[in-house]
Amino acid sequence: MVPLLSRRASAFGEKSRFIPAVVQHGGRWDARLNGLRRIAWELQRRTSVEVLPDARPCMLESPEIFEYPFLYLGGEGDFPPLKDLEVENLRRYLTFGGFLLGDANDGSDGSGFDASFRREMARVLPQSKLAAVPSTHVIYKSFFLIDATPGRLLNKPQMEACTLGKRAAVMYSQNDLAGAWSRTEAGDFEFDVSPGGEAQRELAIRTGINLLMYALCLDYKDDAVHLPIILNKRR
Amino acid sequence: MNSQPFNAWKLVSLSPLPVWALVLLGVGLVLGIALAAWGVRREPSRGRKVLLWVLRVAAGVAALFFLLEPGIRHLQVARMKNRVAVLVDRSASMSFPSEPEGPSRSAQVGRFLEQAAPALTALQDRFTVELYGFDPELAPVTPAMLGTEPPRAGTTDILSALRAVGAGSQGARKLSGVLLFSDGADNTELAAGAVGKARTALAELGVPVSTFVVGQEALKDLAIEGLKVDDFAFVRNSLTVEVEIHGRGFSGKEIPVVLSQEGKTVASKTVRLQSSDDVQPVSFTFTPDQTGRFVYTVTVPTFPDEAVSDNNQRSFTLKVIRDRVRVLLVVGRPSWDERFLRGLLRQDANVDLVSFYILRTMSDDPGVVSQERELSLIPFPMEEIFDTKLDTFDVVIFQNFGYADPSLSISEYERNLEQYVHKGGALVMIGGDSVLGEGRASMPTLMQALPVEAAGSANLEAFKARLTPEGARHPVTALGTGVSSTEAAWAELPAIPGINTTRARPGATVLVDHPFHLVDGRNAPLVAVWDYGRGRALTLATDASWYWAFTSHKDGSPNRTYDRFWSNALRWLVRDPDLTTLKVTADPPSVEPGKPVGVVVSARTADYQAAQDAQVRVELFSVATQKPVAVLTGTTGADGVVRLEFPPPAPGPYKLLASAKRGEVDLGQGEDAVAVRAVGPELSDASVRPALMEQIAKVTGGKAYRLQQESALPEVPLLDPPVVEVGRAKDQPLWDRWYYLVVLIALLGAEWFARRRFGYV
Repeated sequence: MVPLLSRRASAFGEKSRFIPAVVQHGGRWDARLNGLRRIAWELQRRTSVEVLPDARPCMLESPEIFEYPFLYLGGEGDFPPLKDLEVENLRRYLTFGGFLLGDANDGSDGSGFDASFRREMARVLPQSKLAAVPSTHVIYKSFFLIDATPGRLLNKPQMEACTLGKRAAVMYSQNDLAGAWSRTEAGDFEFDVSPGGEAQRELAIRTGINLLMYALCLDYKDDAVHLPIILNKRR
Repeated sequence: MNSQPFNAWKLVSLSPLPVWALVLLGVGLVLGIALAAWGVRREPSRGRKVLLWVLRVAAGVAALFFLLEPGIRHLQVARMKNRVAVLVDRSASMSFPSEPEGPSRSAQVGRFLEQAAPALTALQDRFTVELYGFDPELAPVTPAMLGTEPPRAGTTDILSALRAVGAGSQGARKLSGVLLFSDGADNTELAAGAVGKARTALAELGVPVSTFVVGQEALKDLAIEGLKVDDFAFVRNSLTVEVEIHGRGFSGKEIPVVLSQEGKTVASKTVRLQSSDDVQPVSFTFTPDQTGRFVYTVTVPTFPDEAVSDNNQRSFTLKVIRDRVRVLLVVGRPSWDERFLRGLLRQDANVDLVSFYILRTMSDDPGVVSQERELSLIPFPMEEIFDTKLDTFDVVIFQNFGYADPSLSISEYERNLEQYVHKGGALVMIGGDSVLGEGRASMPTLMQALPVEAAGSANLEAFKARLTPEGARHPVTALGTGVSSTEAAWAELPAIPGINTTRARPGATVLVDHPFHLVDGRNAPLVAVWDYGRGRALTLATDASWYWAFTSHKDGSPNRTYDRFWSNALRWLVRDPDLTTLKVTADPPSVEPGKPVGVVVSARTADYQAAQDAQVRVELFSVATQKPVAVLTGTTGADGVVRLEFPPPAPGPYKLLASAKRGEVDLGQGEDAVAVRAVGPELSDASVRPALMEQIAKVTGGKAYRLQQESALPEVPLLDPPVVEVGRAKDQPLWDRWYYLVVLIALLGAEWFARRRFGYV
């Protein structure tokens, strides 16, 4: 990673770079830190974004989360309810422009991480429930043109989102996205991807890039100037 | 004692009996005659029957004669003189020549009236002849005045003049008729002809109006008529101006028509006049590129033998306003700084945002087989946005955009961008690691338009932005209702991690700076602004202003400083009129010839309060001659407003340039535009309208004449004046003659004798 990063001399310190922050919760929150570092690295490699591929752990109750407009909340298994202060802080974070990526590392559905995540999102944003992301959403074209959003698994064909106004403030995958991104220190991919194998992994990486691009550029690719060209490409 | 003799008589009844009594007696007489006739109905001799009837009828008539007591009433009467009014049009169109090289229409009327003086004198036997001019008020004139005093009235209102003369000035004396001398160029109630209510009003005058149309229709003249344009237009949106070119005596000629804005040609077209009296429409479509009020002029050439040249040009003012601010956002690469600025601009309903982000460079490897099919990226349209369409944007924002890579370098377009600002555009440069001294792209030409220049490497120490004294009052950074609330708002913002090192250029205003990072002994500017040519530029020497948007909310208190800063910045950059401290408004924006030019100046202090007792200076500047014409000064009232009025200037486009001071404090400058028209409605049209004059004569019962065809005053229809009894009366009885009594007795005796003879008595 380091040789690649030194391509571009950067004089403005780390705060101007994209740094993925990770939510520390009461459950198993750190199962996919490698995956986060890896997707940040991929973002740097494939796009013009400057990153610091460092998964920064953050406590939700800390004002420090306001220094990282992108938060990753993943986990294997359930996690205890958030404290009221955490709920309030996270709500304010999301309301004023922060982005949260939820990722069920255990691939659960109705139990485990999934149940906990849905429970807490209902507390944080009671007015905006998780809803399926339509196939026309800009995350399908924010950098790569993709048709699906798989992760390590393909349990659910679609992601879900909590929307504030026109902006998706929370995106949630039950397919363990970070599991597909994760590599060991030796450079091997940590987990197998099923059912689609390496092709699915590449798609998962592209999904991750698109999500990060969405967090950074919002609906840029929905601007009218892009539409005819994108429609043409999709034909 | 009145010695005048009796000059009239009439037959009257001198009986003292009331009418009903006379009627009863008359009926009685008739019954008596009928009874007698009944009494002789069986008379076999027709001759006798007739004799008796005749005698009875004659006696009845004789008795009736005595009952009625007839007499002759001798009267002394005189005929009252009513009025005849001679009305002469004194509007400005009567100054046109009556024929090419001939005397004015007004002078021709004067000559005719001098020649017709004997005929008018002859009318004085029966009428009082009054001679008036109307402009449109009635005023006595003489034939000599018509030749020596030029007519000047701005309108022609024939109906109003007829009503006024009908009301009269001499009490009960009625009008018997009017002689109207005019070219018929009515531009008020009769402008559309004697139709509708105007026709009814003419008919209700109740006097015959005989008309004398003055002037030939065949004058040569080219005029601009029928100007149609909206009062305002949106900047960078096309609009259309429509005019009509009316040519008399220009059959087959091609006429160039030019639309100019304060001396600069905007568009030109050529029209071909088909006949000797032709009207051709012309439309100009153009796109104003600046907001403000401007004077436009439509002009056609003046030919040497034209009757009038003042109507060969027509000016109008056009207010150009903005609908939405069109912003071009060019981003070097996605970042949180860009994310929060985009979020703000996208949700602003007053902003039309066009953005282009460099999502990948040539050194980035997306890892795809087919970029065309697998990436949503589009080519960066540099030529389109920095050249072809550049002028369509109100504000161009560069956010950490600086590439030396030839595929992304804008060096080819730097001059375009610099000139865009110089000619009135607005530029914002937001810092980061690729611009303002960082990165490898220097962009020297574009940098000339910025209020700062690079001055070393960035300083990455976290700091809290510090508001300067200028920033406390400047529209961009004044966020509160006063200086202290503005300072408090800026002080609440979180520290930001890093600043590009720059120095302010001479003439720039630093609004926010670094509290301890010095450049040449001065605090490094963070937010700086200046005017560059006709445009404006702003620099924000950091890529961490997103902290003000996001991190500022970490403590839970609402903070809108970031939103307000950018909203203010955009409004200031596009010269939002509401942000100016001195507002100048021409009142009215278009002035008729010979009228004064009014201007209203509204002054505000730097914190946008009304500036009472401010000294205002306004200069009336002629755009045509590029010279000042007049200067006025005044003092504002409690509401910060003062109204001034310039004496009527010559026709043409003008600028009103104002400045204001309160004590030593400069309150700024402002300007507006005003058009002084060359011609009013009278002089814009040299035509003669004989048809209207004929209609007036017809509706009122008069006759229509053409002055040029009359050598003497014709016999015009006039109402007879009524006879009025003014003198004595004397009755002469007829019935009291002795011989009438003898006749009655003889008739009665003859009838009695005949009845006796025929055996009825």
